[in-house]
Amino acid sequence: MASISEDAHRAHRSPVDQAGGVAPVAAPPAGPPARRRTSGVGWRTRAEIALLAGPALGVFLAFVIFPVVMAAYYGFFSWQGYGPPTEFVGLRNYVTILTDPTFHDALRHNAFIVVMSLVLQGPVAVLLALLLNRPLRGRSVIRVLIFVPYVISEVVVGTGWSLMLATNGALNDLLAKVGLDGLAQEWLSDPDVAIWTLMGIITWKYVGFAVILFLAGLQGIPEELSEAASIDGASYWQVQRRITLPLLGPTVRIWAFLSIIGSLQLFDLVYIIWGQYVASTAGTSTMATYMVVNGRNAGSYGYGNAVAVVLFVISLVIALLYQRFVLRRDTDGAITGGKR
Amino acid sequence: MDMRKTLALTSALALAAGLTACAADSSGGDADGDVTMTFWHNSTTGEGKAYWEETVAAFEEANPGVTIEIQAVQNEEMDGKLQTALNSGDAPDIFMARGGGKLADVVSAGQVMDLTDSIDDATRTAVGDAGFSAFTIEDKVYGMPTAILPGGIYYSGDQFAEAGIDAAPTTMAELDDAVEALKGIGTQPIALGAKDAWPAAHWYYFFALRECSQEVMAEAADTRMFDDECWTRAGEDLQAFAETEPFNEGFLTTSAQQGAGSSAGLLANGQAAMELMGAWQPGVVASLTPDEQPLADLEWFPFPAVEGGEGDPSAMMGGVDGFSCWAQAPKEECTAFLNFFMQKEHQEGYANAFHTLPASQEAQGVVTEPALQQVLEAYNEAAYVSVWLDTLFGQNIGNALNVGVVDMLAGQGSPEAIVEAVNAAAAKG
Repeated sequence: MASISEDAHRAHRSPVDQAGGVAPVAAPPAGPPARRRTSGVGWRTRAEIALLAGPALGVFLAFVIFPVVMAAYYGFFSWQGYGPPTEFVGLRNYVTILTDPTFHDALRHNAFIVVMSLVLQGPVAVLLALLLNRPLRGRSVIRVLIFVPYVISEVVVGTGWSLMLATNGALNDLLAKVGLDGLAQEWLSDPDVAIWTLMGIITWKYVGFAVILFLAGLQGIPEELSEAASIDGASYWQVQRRITLPLLGPTVRIWAFLSIIGSLQLFDLVYIIWGQYVASTAGTSTMATYMVVNGRNAGSYGYGNAVAVVLFVISLVIALLYQRFVLRRDTDGAITGGKR
Repeated sequence: MDMRKTLALTSALALAAGLTACAADSSGGDADGDVTMTFWHNSTTGEGKAYWEETVAAFEEANPGVTIEIQAVQNEEMDGKLQTALNSGDAPDIFMARGGGKLADVVSAGQVMDLTDSIDDATRTAVGDAGFSAFTIEDKVYGMPTAILPGGIYYSGDQFAEAGIDAAPTTMAELDDAVEALKGIGTQPIALGAKDAWPAAHWYYFFALRECSQEVMAEAADTRMFDDECWTRAGEDLQAFAETEPFNEGFLTTSAQQGAGSSAGLLANGQAAMELMGAWQPGVVASLTPDEQPLADLEWFPFPAVEGGEGDPSAMMGGVDGFSCWAQAPKEECTAFLNFFMQKEHQEGYANAFHTLPASQEAQGVVTEPALQQVLEAYNEAAYVSVWLDTLFGQNIGNALNVGVVDMLAGQGSPEAIVEAVNAAAAKG
């Protein structure tokens, strides 16, 4: 915290500084005693931080951190959710989760969704963004069309697709009408097909988000660079490959981070399209649907909380590793306080 | 500076208020001796909602000084909301209950009022022991039943006639023949909403009801273990039946009651001939027909007999809907309300509003729909009536049955796996 406010002071002189002069915010732990006025400013700055960040911090503690701690606590109990938990079972819930083949399936599906989301959406979104970054007729219309699925609520998307993809739904009907009966599938219940159906819907829905991010990233790349390269005789593709894409790197890495976290927590689409029980037979269950089936639906709230903790830990570890190894260059100075 | 202090103070106050605003007073009484109670039921639309509004108004008129605040909660949200309310220590005074293991969990947490000594003699006689049995735990009654909802097979009389089926099937062999005959006229024999799992699990429940003796059922409800062979046989029966492909196309992704494409919708729109359901079915189907009127040719027959089964072929399975009082509700007023809506006229109103069978036998005269009359006839002749297995064994095992049966119907499980899943369910406490 202190380092951020220091940066802020360096960046622009606030009215307080003009009145009281610039001074380091926190007195160094060892060394000459700080002047009185300095500590006054320090105290005042802290009070300001406390006043401005306090309410948000309080709400965050009450509605994010506290529930996380409580979930960890409940996870050690066998608890039906009526009254306070009494039956302490230690690590039994965690052992059951980690040895449950149904959970392994869900974990595998999540991993598949994480990888395929990156593989399918990344290249498509980059190409679309490059295309839409050039002046062309109807650009804004195309942009809207690509972005619309992302804006529609998951519930509406899920309901719509599940109606169209039902065995006697619009898609199979259409295939029959154009004489391609052979291509008709059990899009939702055949375990070999269902996961690809899900990937198709996810790609269709979320690629718009990636495109918007990349377009914003492309806006930030100075045109002089590509102009200079063109003058030096580089072709369009060489310019894109050697200049545009590397400079788009930070945006792509941030998008991949968001995509991975989203894929790990995927729940709503699966829940709406497959329901809670058919998802596991169709091979589209995720850790989140496993949590609902074996927690809330079974009335085993202790077990459900333990699943939530496992999901939280998996997401946190992946997020931290990603920050540490992939995002490090991009976020230096912003998150790490400039320390190497 | 002053400005800042004020700000700090207000934000601190606002925060404190936000975090403590949920401590509501739930004693229900106030200084003048007036009593206010909250009442949760699950009829958010139409006739059912109107019925409760009228009944509550009549009760308030008969009992000056008592006010009942009605909250209609969507059925699928009821369990979760009630659980949250019970945990927060500010629960509704009167809430919906369905007996069995679920109610037992709430009772053992000390959250439900014991009604044993508060039920009117008139009500006790009108309902009879069978109605109260689902709400009786260790000889104490914890709920007032409003409806009995026995299950069986609803079918379209017109489609049966078209397929040349003269009499409703009474054995599995006859049901198999009926399925073949219906395929012959190009309709889907049986609608099944397996996406919601419980309709599929009901098929297993009924096979178990036919395969297992009453004693085995009762014992399993106690031990919550399936160690008799009949549980596996029930799964084998269902597997063999499913292999004849009696269910609608894409039944695994068909929901039970939502819209024309649901299993109830298929029956309502003449695209399927049968569905295994509880006595709420006529009302649900009526809401899904093109003109939203009751299906004129809807009829009913009991689940067929299974050859060699140890259960009584006349035995039935069904649910009971009812209401319980919260342990901290004002006892006198709360039980007075429960007894009030059990009077004949209000039970008759209930049956008409919900298109179902009232728990009070005195009120059963108002049932006119042919399918429901057939249910009532079978119900009054049943050797015994079991509650749904998921209600009987509690949520945990009910959920394991849902998972096991859906897996098997999707070709990924087995009769043995269903039994194993139930016996392992306790480990996921």
